[in-house]
Amino acid sequence: MRKHFLLVVALVLVAAMLVGCTSESSSLLNKIQENKKVIVGTSADYPPYEYLDEAGGITGFDVELMAEIANRMGVELEWVDMPFDSLVAAVSSGKLDMSISCFNYDEERDKTVDFSEAYYTTEDAFVVGSAFTGTITVPEDIANYKVGVQSGTVQDGWLTDNLVTPGLLPEANLSRYERVDQAALDLANGRIDVLMADYVPVQALVAQNPDLQVVFHAELSTGPINIVLPDGDTELKAEIDRIIKELQADGFIDQLAVKYFSE
Amino acid sequence: MDLGQFVSYIASGTVYTVGVTLISLPAGLLIGIILALLYVYGGKTAARVLNLYSTIFRGIPPVVLLFILFFAVSKGINLSAFWAGSLSLGVVSSAYQMEIVRGALLSVSGDQMMAARAVGLSRLQAIRYVVIPQAIRLAIPPWSNEAAIIIKDSSLVYALGVPEILRRAQLIGASSQKYLPAYISAAIIYFLLVFITTHLLTLLEKKLAIPSNP
Amino acid sequence: MPKPILTIKNLTKKYGENVIFQHLDLDVNEGDTIVIIGPSGTGKSTLLRCVNLLTRPNEGQIWLDDEEITAKGADEDQVRQHVGMVFQNFLLFNHLTALGNVKLGLTKVKHMSDAQATEKAMHELTRVGLADRANHYPGQLSGGQQQRVGIARALAMDPRVMLFDEPTSALDPELIGEVLEVMRQLALDGMTMLVVTHEMGFAREVADRIIFMEKGYIVEEGSPDEMFNHPKFPRTREFLWKITELYGKKEKDAE
Repeated sequence: MRKHFLLVVALVLVAAMLVGCTSESSSLLNKIQENKKVIVGTSADYPPYEYLDEAGGITGFDVELMAEIANRMGVELEWVDMPFDSLVAAVSSGKLDMSISCFNYDEERDKTVDFSEAYYTTEDAFVVGSAFTGTITVPEDIANYKVGVQSGTVQDGWLTDNLVTPGLLPEANLSRYERVDQAALDLANGRIDVLMADYVPVQALVAQNPDLQVVFHAELSTGPINIVLPDGDTELKAEIDRIIKELQADGFIDQLAVKYFSE
Repeated sequence: MDLGQFVSYIASGTVYTVGVTLISLPAGLLIGIILALLYVYGGKTAARVLNLYSTIFRGIPPVVLLFILFFAVSKGINLSAFWAGSLSLGVVSSAYQMEIVRGALLSVSGDQMMAARAVGLSRLQAIRYVVIPQAIRLAIPPWSNEAAIIIKDSSLVYALGVPEILRRAQLIGASSQKYLPAYISAAIIYFLLVFITTHLLTLLEKKLAIPSNP
Repeated sequence: MPKPILTIKNLTKKYGENVIFQHLDLDVNEGDTIVIIGPSGTGKSTLLRCVNLLTRPNEGQIWLDDEEITAKGADEDQVRQHVGMVFQNFLLFNHLTALGNVKLGLTKVKHMSDAQATEKAMHELTRVGLADRANHYPGQLSGGQQQRVGIARALAMDPRVMLFDEPTSALDPELIGEVLEVMRQLALDGMTMLVVTHEMGFAREVADRIIFMEKGYIVEEGSPDEMFNHPKFPRTREFLWKITELYGKKEKDAE
């Protein structure tokens, strides 16, 4: 999927030039307010940020946050679920107005989309199986083992830049997966030794699977999470940032964090 | 969520799977037949162009074409994920179906064509009344294979956000942490769809079979 | 003396450098049965295919009933309505019954109504002795039966000339007889026929003229009596001896 992601980004840029892209001089915000509707994308396979509830609807930290943002904008919210890798291309090509899906800021992504101000901060975690006998005191220690990661994520980027490229971790020892649950399976059966992923979702994984445990967590590749917005739309970004600040100020986000992140 | 709700959530993606298949398979067939006839009977230039068509669309992973159509092309024309997906699959399938029909035509042609011309039939008449009826029968088994492939490949539209069977299995698997039951349910549904389809096609094949002594 | 029904003049056929035959001349009178014999690969089949324009000669002309069929603007499909062909491998239309095979040309080329076509087709099938197999498919017929359907199919178009390209070479020995019998009757009925075959018995009994071709040339031609009993060229004698020996043995085995 990662290869395809870059290809799509390139194609979208080409198409933008071909369609003689006069990027609409009016902000998307106007369209949203006119239609009284905002179209938001997410990849609902990432509890507790976005996932399915009992009734088959979408729920989660990001989901409720976005619902409140739409509320304060005075518009309806239409959710579109898509695999994580497709979301950025979808915002960039105008298929979505914006996307919230536990996105970390990423230079690569910044080329084709914009990011809102951070609405929350996350950490990375290293997860190991019960058969693991090694030691991890500093993050770089994982270069000694077989590592798994979700492809296209900031963790993927961090591992590539910090461990693979300098030659600390052989490329062959890094396994990329479409989703975290696939990686968790391989972790459990020993195909990989260490999984690097977002701390919060991984806690749910570990809670379900007593064979796994988190041995290290810190802000490495992650940190702040943001909403992904269309490139260059300053008006829309200003409005979203404004509302995020509001929500932080009046404690809404803190309450949400308590609801979803404390065990 | 009880088992019933669990499975029916996944199963409700079937309407999209069937929808994508019912658009891409016939589209691929229509285009494939026309192109195959051009390829076999249209002369050297046509054959070269169509060979290129075949190489390109059988050489690209279908999901890449889906992305191109949905994200790049539809900046100008607004295509929904469902239609972008179905049409892309239809184009990819048309390349494979062209090869199937072409193979069938070539298996018949030659001598049958010669005999038809000898009776005074024109080239067009020979193709229509002698070659094609025989080619159809030869094409059914490989086409049945293609139908099965499309039913399964229809899951690729998940990448564009179409809530079909596979995507639903992923979502509910991740949300409930019950991955194995989710994927097994999906597998069973796909299996049933393919099984029914190929079974129907086998019946068709039997019905159309030319009688001969064993 | 009436003009020949078929005239071949100076006919040459090459594939690139490879010369199949050259400067062939042949006249066929109406009602003649001409049998062409010779070793394989000497252009006998190719010659037949030129007569119904399945192959185009490089040089030379062919006239059928005063019309030059090799002329530039000639309608090939039209010509083929008047020249019937029977193939070594029968080449029946596998998806059609015997009746269907014979009817196809009648309905699609001669634009007969279904009823007319059926009547005519059944007439021809009766003529070859297969009226009771009209609704059988080629896959349900023996080789000899298939070939007879092939003959009926060609006859249905009421051709001026019938071409037979080794009609019995692909048949089991016991089935050869039934096909040769049909052909013999056809000759007696006055059909103009060009037959390429190795069946010497048929040649001797039915042919008006036998033509011996080798390496793209007509070595010798003449009546059966002339060819078998007083051939002019040693090569003719040699070939006929060899083949009669071979086929004489075959006929003995078939009895």
